[in-house]
Amino acid sequence: MADSDEEYVGDVTEDEDELQVTRGDNPRAKKRKQRGGAEWELSRTWETLVEGADGTISSTVEGLLEANKRKRLLKDTTPLQRGIIRHLILIIDLSQSMSEKDLRPTRYLLTLRYAQEFVREFFEQNPISQLGVLGLRDGLALRVSDMSGNPTEHLTAIQALKTQDPKGLPSLQNGLEMARGALFHTPSHGTREVLIIFGSLLSSDPGDIHQTIGTLISDKVRVGVVGLAAQVAICRELCTKTNGGDETAYGVALNEQHFRELMMDVTTPPAAYSQKESASSLLMMGFPSRTVETAPSLCACHSKPSRGGYLCSRCNSKVCNLPAECPSCGLTLILSTHLARSYHHLFPLINWIEVPWRRASKSSACFACGISFPSVPPEDQWLVTESQTKGMSVSSRYECTACHSHFCIDCDLFAHEVVHNCPGCQSKGAE
Amino acid sequence: MNTVDASEHYELGATDLAPSLLTIVIDTNPHAWDILEESLPLSKAIANILVFINAHLACNYANEIAVVASHTHKAAWLYPSQTLSHSTDQDGDISMSTDTTPQPNKYRPFRIVEDQVTRNLKELMESTTPDHLRGNTSTMLAGALTLALSHINRRTIAWAEEHGGANPDDAPAEGTAPSNRYSASNEDEKLQSRILIVSVSGSSDSAHQYIPVMNSIFACQRLHIPIDVCKLSGDAVFLQQACDATKGVYMSLAEPRGLLQYLMMAFLPDQRSRRHLVLPTRVDVDFRAACFCHRRVVDVGFVCSICLSIFCEPPPGSECLTCGTHLDAGNYNSKPALLPRKKKKKKKVNGASGAGTPISVSTPGS
Amino acid sequence: MASATSRPLEYLEGLPGTTFYKLYQQPSTALAIFRRMLPDLAKCFVMALLYQKDPLPTADLEIWVSSDSKKERDNAISILGRLHVLSTTLTGENVRAYVLTNPFAASLRQALMGAEDSQSFGMFSRAPEHLQTSVADLDEYARQQWEGVMGYMVGTSAFSGQRETVNLSKGVKQLLQAGHLVELRGNRVDITKDGFGFVLQDVNTQVWHILILYVESAEAIGMDSVEVLSFLFLLSSLELGQSYDKSHLTPNQTRTLADLTDFGIVYQNDADPTRFYPTRLATTLTSDSSALSNPVTGSLTGPAGQTGGSGSGFIIIETNYRLYAYTSSPLQISLISLFTNLKYRFPNLVTGKITRQSVRRAIEMGITADQIISYLLSHAHPQLRKHSAAQPSNKGVPASILPPTVTDQIRLWQLERDRLRATAGFLFKDFTSLAEYQAPCQYAAEIGVLVWKSDRKRMFFVTRHEQVAMYLRNQKAGGR
Repeated sequence: MADSDEEYVGDVTEDEDELQVTRGDNPRAKKRKQRGGAEWELSRTWETLVEGADGTISSTVEGLLEANKRKRLLKDTTPLQRGIIRHLILIIDLSQSMSEKDLRPTRYLLTLRYAQEFVREFFEQNPISQLGVLGLRDGLALRVSDMSGNPTEHLTAIQALKTQDPKGLPSLQNGLEMARGALFHTPSHGTREVLIIFGSLLSSDPGDIHQTIGTLISDKVRVGVVGLAAQVAICRELCTKTNGGDETAYGVALNEQHFRELMMDVTTPPAAYSQKESASSLLMMGFPSRTVETAPSLCACHSKPSRGGYLCSRCNSKVCNLPAECPSCGLTLILSTHLARSYHHLFPLINWIEVPWRRASKSSACFACGISFPSVPPEDQWLVTESQTKGMSVSSRYECTACHSHFCIDCDLFAHEVVHNCPGCQSKGAE
Repeated sequence: MNTVDASEHYELGATDLAPSLLTIVIDTNPHAWDILEESLPLSKAIANILVFINAHLACNYANEIAVVASHTHKAAWLYPSQTLSHSTDQDGDISMSTDTTPQPNKYRPFRIVEDQVTRNLKELMESTTPDHLRGNTSTMLAGALTLALSHINRRTIAWAEEHGGANPDDAPAEGTAPSNRYSASNEDEKLQSRILIVSVSGSSDSAHQYIPVMNSIFACQRLHIPIDVCKLSGDAVFLQQACDATKGVYMSLAEPRGLLQYLMMAFLPDQRSRRHLVLPTRVDVDFRAACFCHRRVVDVGFVCSICLSIFCEPPPGSECLTCGTHLDAGNYNSKPALLPRKKKKKKKVNGASGAGTPISVSTPGS
Repeated sequence: MASATSRPLEYLEGLPGTTFYKLYQQPSTALAIFRRMLPDLAKCFVMALLYQKDPLPTADLEIWVSSDSKKERDNAISILGRLHVLSTTLTGENVRAYVLTNPFAASLRQALMGAEDSQSFGMFSRAPEHLQTSVADLDEYARQQWEGVMGYMVGTSAFSGQRETVNLSKGVKQLLQAGHLVELRGNRVDITKDGFGFVLQDVNTQVWHILILYVESAEAIGMDSVEVLSFLFLLSSLELGQSYDKSHLTPNQTRTLADLTDFGIVYQNDADPTRFYPTRLATTLTSDSSALSNPVTGSLTGPAGQTGGSGSGFIIIETNYRLYAYTSSPLQISLISLFTNLKYRFPNLVTGKITRQSVRRAIEMGITADQIISYLLSHAHPQLRKHSAAQPSNKGVPASILPPTVTDQIRLWQLERDRLRATAGFLFKDFTSLAEYQAPCQYAAEIGVLVWKSDRKRMFFVTRHEQVAMYLRNQKAGGR
């Protein structure tokens, strides 16, 4: 008995020697206060406040709010070629460090909740893409759900994780290797991406992770990491190298909100680097129509009896959910609405510009919602108000450069984030 | 009887029901109405719709209405008037317009809506020149839907502010992602909005609006706004898909003369009542797509992997007509190669590991 | 629909059919009843039937409603029946079918389409106005009068000398006494248990309560209750901020108008006796209590002249039973103090704590836990609402606005004391077979009148018996 015990201990020490523990540059110092490193900077919000004429700060506060809204809006709208057909592996850290409570309720639960939201949003934005989920626990990479285009499978798999506890150390290398394996067979016209949610400050790997990074590069897999604790050098290296020198794929969450934003940013299809890299091809797709049968029949995909379904337009097999690949003839079946859902990424709505008082008099109300704008003050007051906050329009008007209609900030936000149409251009027609 | 259980203290909140905002998009395409002249002239249809609007307003004190005309050359507001810039005051009441012709036989809010709708419609019709009509037989559906959505957005924000519900304005300050901001957590407590499209034009003419119409439909889907369609003539593939995606009611009227009864029966109930009712829906929806090259309706097509344009046959010269990318037309539908070709990374930073052989490392314990 | 609708509904149900016949002659009445008294589903039924020539067979209606909502359907039809809006007939093929009763349907159609010369929606005063009366003035007037009535009942004048006292007319005081909301003990006005319940309700419910009291007492002073009622419904369909001509009114209506002026429901300018203005209290009568965005209540809470802006809530309650009320209104403070131990008072804020003792004290005065909770709910601060709206709702159940711990505890405190509750109603017993017992019992449950049942004893207890009795008769007729 005593003997075997000794042996066991010995084994462990040996193992540890072999393990190449990759640590963050100085984990302890960064652990609490400087989470997020360079991203975090003291902002003196009170210094931007200026008293208005009436002695209150309400006007400035309103301006700041509006500028804030606007800031989120002003993104690049050059129509980029984007990887619309995506293959993404989501790797979730399920190691001990995830039980920390610095994110409420715990890192683990919050991550799982956001992961579910992520899956939903991902398929909302990328309806013809594929997703798979892996977990890192106890030094192993574990398969949570297989590559598929069906969100519910992933959601239930992630939901099932909630009953388990985070355990052991994570291994980035194992996770990446498994992801690489899963992405290996994906067609070349789609993207290959990995998103890692990483709560630990170390990775306990069986081999040289740099080699894995090398193979990832050669397989054209892009890796993004969302860190929860502090910046880890190996993660940064991983992201930089696999994204062609672009560091932005690595972000460290400052708080719950920021964490969510970092994850949700990934749902937007990534820009393709060049035409060389992504082999573009013509895909054959079927657009089936929905049928309802009087008597239930088995569907070809799950062999479950159902009444409604979609008939493959080539071989007439019945599938119960779209998008799917026809189980018998392999044709990609999709709703045309799924394709249409991605169009706004490809043809984004141009940013609207601020309107100075000089041109403000031409409108008195928002073109879309009819809310009235503040009236134009006498000319001598223009300068006073125009020196205010950057990014917001002094006259509260925003102009579409194509149709020259004026809109309010709320409609601006709504048009760019939700509808992706310009109310003015659409309703004035081709004249 | 007085058991205190979890369900009980929710009941009080449940009575706090939000009013509904109905936005009607009327297709005023003169070409299409001309065909209908025999059975249901526009004036009669408008009269029917006005009664329907009154019925909607009668259902709840705080119910609101908005009417947009989707004309051949522009989309325009019929109610509330954009010229009366503040058409709604804090309550959503109608602001006092000055032209009060005393008419004691009609509930005032009803009359104000009627007056504005008929006046604006008349203006719209008078502003239509023969030039506008020539060679333009479609209707500005996308614009009308976008205007309707903007109005709904405005009213939803205003309503939430007044009633202290989830205030969408606070979210951006905290930086919530848009998906969360616009999908309400609590369905019953926000303004119940829905859109009714009274459509007469066929869809084939408006194929050039395909993308904006689809964008509006997805916006509705995200905001949980049902789109109801009352089709008086023709049949529109887009609108069928719109109803299907947003869980609205699609009805193609066999007898346009009975418009009012159809409106009252199928389109009046709001979202809350609809939960209790069996409403007419289409079971078979046409999901086929129109190809970008010949506007043919196809059930098997070719899709550009870059811009997702749909073609009915491989485009000439293997070049996508929309984005100009050269497409590997030969290997469409081919299975991926077993060994993917190695391609040069455009911006490679660390060249050293580029050619590294894939090492097969088994995970410990596996 | 909870307490908000029940009171006027109960009163109306008690009226005989002929009264309804007379009431429904006016389009404004039909519209008001349609809007205010009917549940959502019933409105759908009415509208669907309104422009249908033939009666709708009952079977068709049953198909229209989804099978899960049988209870809602029966409830809706039951209310429609009680208000004499819907009746059943036999069609040509001897099928039972629903049809709208005639004066109601015709009047509602008239309201929607605007036909004939009924003058049902008030005559504008055409004379040029010398004294402009703005909406803000009307709100202020309504607030003052209504707060005066409340203040009279609670007796706030005792601890706030600085506020202007509103002169209440004798009629108002008599009405409050007749409604057993206050009792006169010598010179002192004592609020009754009913009165406590009354003051804690939201304004809309209170106005209805008062109006029903008024109609009930109208008979006693020789006015026709139908005339008064239809005048009230007419008032509810008027436009805020407009003045109306008095010369078209009957003497009884003029008299009613004068009485309502005392409550702040209408406003009359002494200098110009030809016109009257409805205030917000009148024009929002047909709204749901929640739909009233409460500029009146909002200003009721704040100091005079300062309207509450948007939203009416001012009470924040925390899970530790602490209560913060941003108000300086003596009325509201005295209301809160009914069930709270107040600690501090600042110019615009009072704080206190809800304790077992304070709640028990309130309950001993006759206030119920539900009244306290609904008061807190209807005056909850926008922040509380925002917070609850931001919470993720679990499984479709919306997060409650008030902390659940507090509401549950208030109920538990009441339960400690209150172990019996009396419900007036009717007992059905002596059924010969189980089947004969079960069918009406189930029916009673579906229309929502069942209070208690015992399968073993084959008895059940309902709050109203007419429809169950009708059901039993129909069954008997069908059985034969």
